[in-house]
Amino acid sequence: MQARGAAFLRTTAFRQTLLSAALFALASFVTLGFVYAASAGMVLRRADSAINEEVAELDASFQAGGIRTVNRYILERTVGGGADYLYLLVHPSGRSLSGNLTYLPDVQPDDEGRVQFTYRRPAAGDSGDEVDDGKDDRTARGRIIDLPSGYRLYVGLDVDEETRLVSRMLNTILAASALALALGVAAGIFVSRRFVRRLDRINTVARRVKAGDLQPRAPRNFTGDELDELSENFNSMLDRVEALMHRMRHTGDSIAHDLRTPLTRMRNRLDEALREEGDRASREQALERAVADTDELLGIFNAILSLSRLEAGESRASIQRLDPADTAADLAELYEPVCEDDGLSFNSEIQSGMTMLGDRGLLSQALANILDNAVKYTPSGGAVTLRLRQTGDGMIEFSVTDTGPGIPDTDRARVTQRFVRLDNSRTKPGSGLGLSLVQAIVDVHNGRFELGEGPGVVADGHGAGLRAALCFPTAPAED
Amino acid sequence: MRILIVEDDREAASYIRKGLRESGHVADHAGDGEEGLEMARAAEYDVLVVDRMMPRMDGLSMVEALRADDDRTPVLILSALGEVDDRVEGLKAGGDDYLVKPYAFAELLARVEALARRRDPDTVRTKLVVGDLEMDLLARTVVREGEEILLQPREFRLLEFLMKHSGQVVTRTMLLEKVWDYHFDPQTNVIDVHISRLRSKIDKPFPRSLLHTVRGAGYRLQA
Repeated sequence: MQARGAAFLRTTAFRQTLLSAALFALASFVTLGFVYAASAGMVLRRADSAINEEVAELDASFQAGGIRTVNRYILERTVGGGADYLYLLVHPSGRSLSGNLTYLPDVQPDDEGRVQFTYRRPAAGDSGDEVDDGKDDRTARGRIIDLPSGYRLYVGLDVDEETRLVSRMLNTILAASALALALGVAAGIFVSRRFVRRLDRINTVARRVKAGDLQPRAPRNFTGDELDELSENFNSMLDRVEALMHRMRHTGDSIAHDLRTPLTRMRNRLDEALREEGDRASREQALERAVADTDELLGIFNAILSLSRLEAGESRASIQRLDPADTAADLAELYEPVCEDDGLSFNSEIQSGMTMLGDRGLLSQALANILDNAVKYTPSGGAVTLRLRQTGDGMIEFSVTDTGPGIPDTDRARVTQRFVRLDNSRTKPGSGLGLSLVQAIVDVHNGRFELGEGPGVVADGHGAGLRAALCFPTAPAED
Repeated sequence: MRILIVEDDREAASYIRKGLRESGHVADHAGDGEEGLEMARAAEYDVLVVDRMMPRMDGLSMVEALRADDDRTPVLILSALGEVDDRVEGLKAGGDDYLVKPYAFAELLARVEALARRRDPDTVRTKLVVGDLEMDLLARTVVREGEEILLQPREFRLLEFLMKHSGQVVTRTMLLEKVWDYHFDPQTNVIDVHISRLRSKIDKPFPRSLLHTVRGAGYRLQA
């Protein structure tokens, strides 16, 4: 529990909230401090101006009648107690002449001649029931004026109430700031706990996936906030990983299954060659066939490798602007003689003047795979057509049609999966990867791969034929 | 020919070495890029066969270092990878040809011999002659026994490649790569079909055949 607590204190969320709580407390401290400075200053200024007025009065009486008048003025106000002000008139010898203060404060006046000090309220001057318990130390503020001929006069005000109020205010402000800090931290802990708990749930999922269980998914609250978005991305990533894992497992099984046959055949041939006695020619023949089998196996491996790279998006295909008509024309030229040799009539209809973004090598490979299939499956006397055109919706479409047996509706979605070979193709050479490769190449180009019915006429003894179309978006105009 | 094989896989290296020796070449072996670079600098080789992935110094760095020294010895890069962009990378580093593992020995031999030929003084040839077959590269005409043979543009390029490598074996993959610029293997025998078309034009009407099929390897044009 303690370890968890310590871990919690290290979380970013907690640190962030701690920081904002501290900033909030500082801000409230500064604000209240400003209020304090303003009101404390106001209280003292009011006292000071009252003192100034009284000094002016006394100055006036000094001007009118000299020190005696001042003395009388003070006596009139202080005898009997209850004076608003504090006074003390001091003889040049240092003796107090009149006033309700007993002695002159021994405090250096500031620039404006003001002093602030603590005094003890004279017990006699008041109702007399004051007890000298030391609690009667009070704060006074005033001015000391040097009169001509050595007399000194103090005029002041009791500001005890005011200063007490101000210091209480200061205490309150400090307490409030501390409280703000404490509340901020508490709120921060609360908020970040919630945040951390949600993160924890995502981390738990990640740990379980790491441990090998691909089932769990991060919880979502569908508010679309950052964490929800994180969960969503995290989940779709897991979906993709799961699909890839599944495909990998499937591929692994298929590879094992598909390679067993040629490997067994090769093993038997080599074994036979070993046991063959004397006959050099037939031994050589067996070895040659074994080499051919090996080549076939390596071909399958290479196809798997290219396919995996394409599907994993690792192949940095060199996509550039190209004229699909060039690509189509090159392939037509490559395959026309092949078709004719096989007794097929070959036609190409190529529309020019289009531009697409593509990798010439990959596109050619995809088309070559389809043309290979057309040649392989169309019986002699049939026809193969390569066509390039712009479709109604502005796509660039390469299509190859043949008059072979075609692919039944129900199998069309299946044939682009790896290692899927239809029953009637089992006798022909091939790895079952050709159309998977076409699909992967089309995907790399953001295109579409469609299989449909060909132009064959079944009644003529041909198959329905196959139409294989690769559709790609037209390249955006160049700036 | 003197050939240096730079390959960290001893077994693969001895397989190539044995084959090259049987074909009448001298073959040395270096086990990594650093050793290969040293040996290539110390002696004159006609062709270097360099594996791409090696410890200490990989093949591409080694070729780059050689090219930086202005050493123009033809290099065949061997690679276990095999995508088009890997090939482009290899050629950019200074390789002259690129062969993906696994390969048939005949393929390697044909490419090594073709590379050595490329090294011949590079005078710009305007005329190729093999026996009584003549090709004028400027007028783009082909004549045999004084009789002009009409070829399609691709057939012309195919014949040009064969004539430039006359006396040597060229493989189907080489033709597909160099004449058509395709780096994949079609399942159908496209190259054989094109060769037989060419053959029917340049050989059939004449008593002596120039274009020979080399079993298990490819084709050879020879007088």
